[in-house]
Amino acid sequence: MHKAGPGGLGAEPATLSAEPLDLVAMLSRAHHPGAGAVVLFSGEVRDHNKGRAVSFLEYEAYAPLASKMIREILSMAREKWSLHVAVACHRTGRVAVGDIAVVVITASAHRSEAYAANQYIIDRIKHEAPIWKCENYVDGGAEWGNNCNCHAITGDPGRHIYESNG
Amino acid sequence: MILSGSAATLMILSRSAARGEDNMKIHVYAGLKDYFQPEFEVEGPVRNTTELIERLLVINDKAGEMLSSCRFAVQEGFIDKDFKLSGHDTIVIIPPSSGG
Repeated sequence: MHKAGPGGLGAEPATLSAEPLDLVAMLSRAHHPGAGAVVLFSGEVRDHNKGRAVSFLEYEAYAPLASKMIREILSMAREKWSLHVAVACHRTGRVAVGDIAVVVITASAHRSEAYAANQYIIDRIKHEAPIWKCENYVDGGAEWGNNCNCHAITGDPGRHIYESNG
Repeated sequence: MILSGSAATLMILSRSAARGEDNMKIHVYAGLKDYFQPEFEVEGPVRNTTELIERLLVINDKAGEMLSSCRFAVQEGFIDKDFKLSGHDTIVIIPPSSGG
């Protein structure tokens, strides 16, 4: 089972959480004396999808591999952009409209690295980590949706096209 | 060859044990659960993911399009179509991600 909630000082931050994410607490732990820039991305649940009103999302994860992959993505980002801080945590379970589904925080000496790394991390999590959302609609319907469809372009479920250039 | 009662029983038990040992555990997630139980077994031997997909289509022939877009994992690592599966493997079938 994954850790519930981001870890405290000294503990490796959790990458999956069955509990609501404390964005303020995560940000307060993300400062670094060498970082002049801290970038925070918060992915939140919209109230609509494909023209339908959304009631809530239900996230499922293959936790052992999802957690491992997120850590690897963060490690690669730290190295690629010389980050002082790179953390990410994704919800599992039910997430209401307006609530936070995923947080990515990056901190670097200058802002260009923090911005680029942040987008790289969320792109890769969305495309690669074994995490799925089920859209639950106000009208009672539900569907697993907005899947990564890179395989339709690349012909390979393991090859992806990212929004970022990282 | 005609076997005595106890020898015949032993051979049947051995065959049953062999089938059990070759049964692969399959775990599926997300949209794949519309086609398969979350956890089930496939009788072996199954040598690779190509053969596994063939077996899965026997169970539900409507799952082909989704299966073609899935990744496969063993022991928390992705495998490719050339990976040699073992009879005792637990295989996780991973549909395209939709996190975030």
